[in-house]
Amino acid sequence: MIEIENLHKSFGSLEVIKGIDLHIRPGEVVCIIGPSGSGKSTVLRCINRLEDATSGRIILDGSDLSDPATNINQVRAEATMVFQGFNLFPHMTVLQNVTLGPVKVRRMSKEAADALGIELLQKVGLAEKAGSFPDQLSGGQQQRVAIARALALRPKAILFDEPTSALDPELVGEVLEVMKQLAREGMTMVVVTHEMGFAREVADRVVFIDQGIIQEENTPDELFGNPQNPRLRDFLGKVLSHG
Amino acid sequence: MGFTFEWQVMLETFPLLLSGVKLTIIITLGGLFFGFIIGAVTGLMKLSRSRFLRKLAGIYVESIRGTPLIVQVMFLYFGVPMATGLRITPVAAGIIAIAVNSGAYIAEIVRGAVQSVDVGQTEAGRSIGLTRIQTMRYIIWPQAFRRMIPPLGNQFIISLKDTSLLVVIGVAELTRVGQEIIAVNFRAFEVWLTVGIVYLMMTLSIAKVLQMTEERLEKRSAR
Ligand SMILES: Nc1ncnc2c1ncn2[C@@H]1O[C@H](COP(=O)(O)OP(=O)(O)O)[C@@H](O)[C@H]1O
Ligand SMILES: [Mg+2]
Repeated sequence: MIEIENLHKSFGSLEVIKGIDLHIRPGEVVCIIGPSGSGKSTVLRCINRLEDATSGRIILDGSDLSDPATNINQVRAEATMVFQGFNLFPHMTVLQNVTLGPVKVRRMSKEAADALGIELLQKVGLAEKAGSFPDQLSGGQQQRVAIARALALRPKAILFDEPTSALDPELVGEVLEVMKQLAREGMTMVVVTHEMGFAREVADRVVFIDQGIIQEENTPDELFGNPQNPRLRDFLGKVLSHG
Repeated sequence: MGFTFEWQVMLETFPLLLSGVKLTIIITLGGLFFGFIIGAVTGLMKLSRSRFLRKLAGIYVESIRGTPLIVQVMFLYFGVPMATGLRITPVAAGIIAIAVNSGAYIAEIVRGAVQSVDVGQTEAGRSIGLTRIQTMRYIIWPQAFRRMIPPLGNQFIISLKDTSLLVVIGVAELTRVGQEIIAVNFRAFEVWLTVGIVYLMMTLSIAKVLQMTEERLEKRSAR
């Protein structure tokens, strides 16, 4: 589904990603954990081509992202993104936020897109908010709308970049619940998260990134239960004592 | 030789100015209409990925902002026809001058407003597969446009006052009409006072409409 081979990314002279290989299978849920500044977001942003890789290959459902012949807009719609800060479009209603992609990118009719939009809003439990504007919603509700917006493209995978980090603690659960449901339905998901409980429960595989490389990857049971890498042990010691 | 203020002159002057008011408004609106188109295009050029377009827009904006409007007007009305053989009417020259002049300032307004929209909005648009142009059209521009309204209102007031400089090419706008009245009655004090009051009434009305628009927008965003 997503094949990352020897990914390198530098910002100017700062090398942030120093050779990452990661293959994600269809239907797999991969959680990426690691200290802040270690390059987790950058990996996701390279998959969605919000950043151009410095070198290496990323193949998304058969399309090579570095190939100039690839229609980057269509490829992006196959791996949509959910951001830490939601980034809903404030001048559009909730339903318009969700249907913009289907109408403009997938060339769906407005009626079909509205029907799809309502269906997806029902899925995230917000059908009654279809006509509201984003600033009328709580953070948790906004993030659920953002998930519906990402789903509306019928993507092959969804990339989550710390989807609950900007939320008040009491709102985290409702967003994780929606994500768990997606995982159960077989959606391919790459999730950068600090929610170790979520990673343990939902992930098929957990990847620990530090200093721009994958230091360790394993099933959640193994990675959390029997961490090998000293940096990982140190990291888990810190986050688990906080959470 | 004592000066006696004559109310009567002001009252008589007022209706005589109306044709000038009309032309002032026409030139201002016409100039700003085209000025907005020029400004939107150049403002977006300044944000373009192409170095050439950015430079081109920069040269235009700097040339206009760095020279007096009166020189621009004279150049357009007296200079350009001499070089090209194309004659234009004073009113057309006035509209073009206001358009070209305000366009440079509006370009900066547009650029600033577009840049002020959070980069996360662009990323969200691109991440669902919208092209750069679609992202601009459906996501960035509508948000930027709201932020342009106050500075555009300001530019409206500035351009309206600027039209008085068109007196140098003989456009029969408000200032020119005032001059012509004085040539007949020699009552400079009363006539210029009246002309000033008429300008003030127009600029205050624009400011008022602007303030109401801003309040309405604020209410909507504080929903
Ligand atoms: N656009 C950018 N320009 C320069 N440096 C950046 C940029 N984006 C990220 N970085 C740097 O790259 C490093 C990794 O960032 P990021 O991928 O956001 O880390 P994480 O998501 O793991 O916290 C950080 O040191 C960050 O400062
Ligand atoms: Mg990050």
